[in-house]
Amino acid sequence: MFCLSVPAKFNRDLAAILFAGALLATIPFTGLPPFYESFLYLVFLWTVLATSWNILSGYSGYFSFGHGAFFGAGMYTTAVLASRFDVPFLWTLPAAAGVAVVLGAALGAAVFRVRGIRGELFALVTLAFTFVVGTIVLNTPIDGGPGVYLSGVAVPKIGPSGVSAFFYMGLALALGTVLAAFGIFHSKFGSGLFAIHDDEDVAEVMGVPTLGYKIAAFSVSCSLAGAAGGIHALFLSYVTAGDTFSIVVPLTVVLMSVLGGKRFWAGPAVGAAVITALLYAFTAGDHAVAGKAVFGAVLIAVILFMPQGVLGWFFRRRRPLAKAAQGVVELPPMAYSQKRSDRAVTSEPILIARGVRKAFRGVHALDGVDIEIRRGEILGLLGPNGSGKSTFINLVSGHFPPDAGEMLFDGRDLARCKAHRIARGGIARTYQIPRPFAGLMVRENVAMAAMFGSANLSRGAAMREAQRWLDFTGLTPKANTYPDDLNLHQRKFLELARALATSPQLVLLDEVLSGLTPTEINEAVDLIRAIRDHGTTVVFVEHVMRAVIALTDRIVVLNHGLVIAEGVAADVMARPEVVTAYLGSGHA
Amino acid sequence: MLELDTVEARYGTATALSDISLNVGAGELVCVVGPNGAGKSTLINVIAGMHRVAAGSIRLGTRNLAHLQSHRFCAEGIAIVPEGRRLFGTMTVCENLELGSYLAGAKARRKESLENACAMFPVLRDKLGQRAETLSGGQQQMVAIARALMACPRLLLLDEPSLGLAPIIVLEVFNSIKRINAEGVAVLLVEQNVAMALDLANRAYVLEEGRIVAQGTPGDLLAQPHIRRAYLGVGAD
Repeated sequence: MFCLSVPAKFNRDLAAILFAGALLATIPFTGLPPFYESFLYLVFLWTVLATSWNILSGYSGYFSFGHGAFFGAGMYTTAVLASRFDVPFLWTLPAAAGVAVVLGAALGAAVFRVRGIRGELFALVTLAFTFVVGTIVLNTPIDGGPGVYLSGVAVPKIGPSGVSAFFYMGLALALGTVLAAFGIFHSKFGSGLFAIHDDEDVAEVMGVPTLGYKIAAFSVSCSLAGAAGGIHALFLSYVTAGDTFSIVVPLTVVLMSVLGGKRFWAGPAVGAAVITALLYAFTAGDHAVAGKAVFGAVLIAVILFMPQGVLGWFFRRRRPLAKAAQGVVELPPMAYSQKRSDRAVTSEPILIARGVRKAFRGVHALDGVDIEIRRGEILGLLGPNGSGKSTFINLVSGHFPPDAGEMLFDGRDLARCKAHRIARGGIARTYQIPRPFAGLMVRENVAMAAMFGSANLSRGAAMREAQRWLDFTGLTPKANTYPDDLNLHQRKFLELARALATSPQLVLLDEVLSGLTPTEINEAVDLIRAIRDHGTTVVFVEHVMRAVIALTDRIVVLNHGLVIAEGVAADVMARPEVVTAYLGSGHA
Repeated sequence: MLELDTVEARYGTATALSDISLNVGAGELVCVVGPNGAGKSTLINVIAGMHRVAAGSIRLGTRNLAHLQSHRFCAEGIAIVPEGRRLFGTMTVCENLELGSYLAGAKARRKESLENACAMFPVLRDKLGQRAETLSGGQQQMVAIARALMACPRLLLLDEPSLGLAPIIVLEVFNSIKRINAEGVAVLLVEQNVAMALDLANRAYVLEEGRIVAQGTPGDLLAQPHIRRAYLGVGAD
């Protein structure tokens, strides 16, 4: 959904944001009662908080319940600097943002490294962090218990009335935040975050520097929350640890973003406006308790009936997805007709693995394996289930590091490389069970690979490159649908298209043929031949013997984590040890 | 025993199956072949009660199952080995198997069923205490089949049991299917390994674009050149 932004739409949306900002800026001069200004200030405040939360949590899917910590850090930074050290208020705002960033980046650098802390664990860790920060503030001279008064701090004079200073500061920050969210949404950085949202491991293997991206998104998110905290401290003029570091802020921003639509840059702003208005309408009058119940009911209804948020519902109604019929889609004739590069198989190795070992809880998946892959060849990697084939692919693609041994690729040892660096270096892989980015269209899935793999293209160039590989795999008719609409055959080809779009030197195919019918296998075999003729080296894990014999130049057979045979397919398959371990007597 | 009459199934507005009439006799082994996207998995899911029919009837014996809730299908004697196995990965093999006999009838015979499962797949006997996700693909497939048998089904549905398995394991899995069938359990098998499936089956259906386009004994079907070509890849190489 995000990549489809044609430049015209991008410019139109940008103009709309600026126009809305300019229009709002005239309000204090219209003579409306000051009440509206303070109400709108609250809308701006919540827009900043919800939108900044969404940059990490909505885009990348890391649900944070710690937004209150960074908001609060900003509040206390401003409160302390302005009231005790007489720093002019406006100067405290960069400091408020800075303190929040330092806290966020430090937390992120620690937490984002751990593969286990995703989903609900991340939410709990960030919530706990909020209480830790709150406790520190409460029990040190930063607050010490009684709270901090800002009544003596001078409010900068902006606009006609006393409240309009807050109105304009809120508006400026809200505008900045929405523009940041909008810009990130349309950038390569944003694409990477959406990929992390759908499948972080695949994103990393495709070349997205996931750790750096997460920390960067978290830092942007925290800085905006911190600055908002600084402004709000002065607005309240009295801050207490109990009110600041509570669950209210994170809960409210989550609700706003979910209500508006987390996958949209404007979603949290819409949610912030709606909820602030509802809260006021229902809870400000005489029927506060009944109002809260109604408010809760509205939220439940929205979440039940608009799971993608208000904007998701709106866009779906406007553009009803022309769902292609579920039946078989005729694949067009092979569009790939580039001249065969007459690259013969060379004996020059592209990857040399020596003494590679990997164990899982004491079980040796690979027990000292030497494999040499030669430039331009198709190497079949065979062996019974559990013999270590997938482990080998996971090691070469950097999914996890080996316990021992080295894997030299272009003179570099992959053993110590991060997966995204390996992808940049020119190695791509497919997954046995296809793992498309479910929230992205087929075309975007392929473009993502072209953006972050060794092709390393800009967004626009990546979209064009994607078309080439969609044509190559015959997926063009499905380009604008979601992976959910694809059958297994098409998903397997999407895996292929994605791997190829990175323009790899070496591609690792993990059982691309399993589950395909014989006719489909013939098609895929032609495709794999075409890939090799294009100059890419192929490692091919497969159980379909017919295809292995038809395609491979050499095969390597693994059993119990050891290489038991190596050579030309027809010879190796006849060896008795391969028959007993792998083929079974039925094939002999 | 199982009888589908003009069954239709949809995903939203898209029709996945239309006008499907099919039957499996008691103790029979029937296979369904067809290209990807033809609706084979939908068909299995419909019979297992995991996908609701839009029209038509599903009868098992004398009961119409079409409007039963999905968890009731198991009590009627239908068990499924889903595509991709779908084990409870963090539970032990033994726990996976015990969950297979969740309902009272099957629970009463749990010990006996467990013994039978271990006899069918001896390699599982040493793995009972191990977490299912730590097993190799072949062993996981055996657990998936054994788990379905723990429900003491009258009809066993198998969706692509050979997917991603080494040839030697495929042989073992097909042998076990043959034995299960020989013990009197009717089997409906969806399989891409058409040659082996037809070798095993009493009868077969060919499904294309959500419709049954051919049916008969394996011999009848293989006598048709276009079916040989499309599903065995013979002559296409």
